[in-house]
Order: sequence, then C-alpha cells, then structure tokens
Amino acid sequence: MAYGSTIMAGAYVALVPVYLFRAPAWLMVLTGIAAAVLVGLLVEFCCFRFIKKGHELAPLMTTIGMLIVINEAIVHATDAVGLKYPSPFGDVALELGQFLVRRDYLAVLVAGVVCFTLIFLLLYRTRFGRAMRAVAERPEAAQILGVSVRRVNVLTFVLTSALAGVIGFFAAVSVGSARPDMAFFVTGKGLVVMVLGGLGSLPGAIVGGLVLGVLEFEATWFLGATYRDILAFVILFLVLVFRPQGLVGTRTT
Amino acid sequence: MDYYVAIASIIGIHALLGLSVYVVAISGQMSFGQQGFFAIGAYLAGMSTAMWGLGLVPALVLGALVAGAMGFVVGFPALRVRGLYLAIATFGFGEIVRLAFLNVRYTENIGGRVVGPNGAEGFRHVRYVYDRGFTGLHYLAVILVVLVVVVILFFLLERSKVGAKLRAVEEDETAAAMIGINVTRVKVVAFAAAAAVAGLGGGLFIHYSTYIDHDMVALPLAIASVTYPLLGGLGSFVGTLLGAIVLVGLTEGLRGLQGMREFVYGGLIILMMIFRPRGIVDEALVLRVKSWLSPRAPREPVQAP
Repeated sequence: MAYGSTIMAGAYVALVPVYLFRAPAWLMVLTGIAAAVLVGLLVEFCCFRFIKKGHELAPLMTTIGMLIVINEAIVHATDAVGLKYPSPFGDVALELGQFLVRRDYLAVLVAGVVCFTLIFLLLYRTRFGRAMRAVAERPEAAQILGVSVRRVNVLTFVLTSALAGVIGFFAAVSVGSARPDMAFFVTGKGLVVMVLGGLGSLPGAIVGGLVLGVLEFEATWFLGATYRDILAFVILFLVLVFRPQGLVGTRTT
Repeated sequence: MDYYVAIASIIGIHALLGLSVYVVAISGQMSFGQQGFFAIGAYLAGMSTAMWGLGLVPALVLGALVAGAMGFVVGFPALRVRGLYLAIATFGFGEIVRLAFLNVRYTENIGGRVVGPNGAEGFRHVRYVYDRGFTGLHYLAVILVVLVVVVILFFLLERSKVGAKLRAVEEDETAAAMIGINVTRVKVVAFAAAAAVAGLGGGLFIHYSTYIDHDMVALPLAIASVTYPLLGGLGSFVGTLLGAIVLVGLTEGLRGLQGMREFVYGGLIILMMIFRPRGIVDEALVLRVKSWLSPRAPREPVQAP
C-alpha cells in the first residue's frame, strides 16, 4: 500500500538535480530510481521486517501507516504546493496518419513495454526470478529448498521500488507537475488495475491496465469526468466480490 | 471552555466511528469503508432536519437505519471475501459513496440559503440544532447520551451470546461453523450494526458542524477511524474509546501537533502493529483486570458455546 508514496518520492527527488543544476533527463530518471529504492528499503525495514508471521492484516496496516508518513513528509517539505515538472520530450505532438500523439505519452508507452519485457525476462528466465515466484507461492517450501526468503524479499523490494522510480518520473512528466496527492491517485488506480487483472499475474496487470484505461476514457466521454472515478471503484468492488481471482487469473484456493 | 467542548464533541463523534470499525475488527476483518456509512448517515440526517422538517431524534435514527441497511446490502456480497481483499473492497465502497456525494445535487432554497447536498460544494446550513437555541454544551450532552447508549449496547453485546459468536468467528471460522454458528449471518449482522453506528456518528457530526463535504469523508477519516481501535486495543470496546480520547485529544488539543497529525497517526499504526498488534487494551489485559476485580474469574479465555 505504500507503493504509491514510493512512486511519488521518486518523482520528487528526481527533481532535485534539476533544481541544483540543469540536469538532463537520464540523470533525473536515475536519481528518481535511486531515491525510490531507498524509500522502498525503508518501507521494507519499517513495515515488514518486525511483523510476526501469521498476522495477515499487519503488513497492510503498517504500509498504510507508511503511506501517510511519507506523504506528510513530502507535504511538509514542499508546503503542499505542486512543483512544475519539466518535460524532456517537448510539447510538440507527433502526427501519425490521422492521429495526433503527444511525444511524452509515446515515451511512456515505450518505457512501459521495455519495463514489462525486462520484468518478464527476470521472472521467468532467471534463477532469481524462479526463487521469487517460489517464495511468493510457498515461503516455507522455498526456504527448505535453500532459497533465502529474506534476501529474495529485500531484492524484490529493491526491484519494485526501482520500477516505482521510473513510474514516478513518467507519471509526473505526463501530468506536468508533481503534487502531494499523487500517491493516493496512483495507489487507487494501481489497486484497481491489480485486482482487475488478478493479483500476482503479469499478463493480468496488462489486461487490467488496458481495460481500465479504455473504460475510463469511454466513461469520461459518455458520462462526464466526475463519474470516471466512481466507475473505477465500482469495478474494483464488483471484481473483488464476485471474481476475486481477477479477470484472467485462475482460482488458487 | 468552548474549545474544550468542541474537542469533547469531536472525541464523542470519532469514538462512534471507532466503535464501528471495532465491531468489524472483532469479527476478524478490517474495514476501510466505515466513513462511507458515516457519510450516508450524515447526508440523510442532514436532509431530514434541514429539508424535510423532521426532528433531531428521528433524523439520527433514520440516518443510522439507512446506513445500517446499506451495511447489510454491501456486507452480504462483500463478506464473501476476507482479509486484504475485504479491506480493499470496503475502501472501494467508501470511495464510491464519497464520489457519489460529489455528484449528487438535490437542493432547495430555504430562507435565501441553498440547502441540500450540492455536489462539490458540500451540504451547507444544517442549522437545526443551533436554530433551536442549543449551545455547544447542550449538543455535547446529546452526543454523550448517544455515545453512552451505544456503549451500553456494546457492553451487553460483549457479554451476550452474539459477542461470543463474533469472537469465535474471529478465532477460527471453520471451527465456529462446525459448532453450529452461522458464520455468514454473524458477520453480516455485525457489519450492518457497525454501519448503523457509523451512520449515527455521521448524523451527529453534520448537526454539530452544520456542514459536510465529500473531502471530509475521504481516506484520512478512514485511517483515523481504524487507528482508534488498533491503538486502543481489540480486547474490549473500552480500548476504542481510549484510543479516540488519546488520539483526538493529542492532535486537536496540542497546538504544536496540529500539523503533525498524520505523522502521529501513521507512526502509531506502524509501532502498534510491531510491538502490540492487539492494541493497548488487548485480551490479556482484559483478563488480568477481570481477575483483579473478582479473584474467582477464569484466567483462561472462555470459549464460545
């Protein structure tokens, strides 16, 4: 649940080198990733390490606590004012046939495909990926087979936080500013996408993202912008209650 | 003096919200959607007095009943899932309610004022209480009476068979079902009762503040309401009251802490989860206090029938 604020922290810290000196985009992304990884490790340390096993809801509660703390830290550091986010891609739209495409959106798309490919390769083609999936499925069994659950967990956090750094950068670029309410927004939408596709399913996440994106756009068009978010949460509620395994997932329990 | 009356009023209202989460929590689940029922109770009770000419008591009862009915309608499907899923689903419900009130426009022009739910502008001018010459102190008395009634009901609940059933369901659903407890019914009834209590809190709130808007029932309120029972403890409803008094007292009472409110809440949740996951007043403490009060009380938890 603290993932949204990790993303936001990445987005904010990525701004620091821009303010210090006119940093190029790649340096912003790298700073964002580094900051997000640090925050991610902090979350792991505070929220997961000391929690006793078998307390199912405890990590949920601690990460929500962390979400608030990180948010407040950013609100206090920036006086809750949105910061302008420079776009390295310029404002000019590309013309592709009869469509106009904003260049930063195109960059988001490319970055998304690259990230997805990397994660897919890591999860399904490497030793570490196999260990990660084993720990997710059955930690005890993985431990018996010689996988260090603790190390895998920490590395997973590093990995997802690095990703959060990238997401934070692109999210802020496409909106044009970094604002403290970003985390709630990203967390909310992220939850809907995750649940829609099925928890812990990589193709599910993509399907969920696409379905939500299309539905939200159609809702904005036909019903108006204020109904868009209702629709997202109605979908969240209905899928959770009637199809907890997600749209493409299979029932495991 | 007015200042302390105001703080006490807020404590009373938030205690109701905390108790609402507590009921769900002792059936072993966590809800982040009680602020949705709070909002339903508030808007309904507000409309009852400001637009439909009802008195305060019928308005509060109506708000609580509708919120409770909503709790039943939502709880029935939602309680099929549990744990993390339920927490997310209830939060989704809370957001649906909040966003619905962001869109609802149902206003009347009463005495030159626009009264009624007015979309993003919120629901203004619920002045029933103050128009009838109540002072802050009078209204605090109303809040406390309601709180005492609810607390008495809770006290009876804890000692009743229903309370024992709830705890049995929390402890082990399968075992509870095997000794003949209708797990679904117990959970849904508890959820509906919890929703009614939250609705009652909402009704009291809107008459206290004369105003509510969708921003007031967003995630921060959900987190506050969950923090009270978690900090106070899940061993007895006394813990929730204690949690509300301590937290609201700290954050409203100490001016220096005003800006740090969210830090306090967030930090406390993390620390409590690590060091004392059942809160200050946990089951062990309840048993110890009981054994001090009457030496012959059982030292081991009494199992549900």
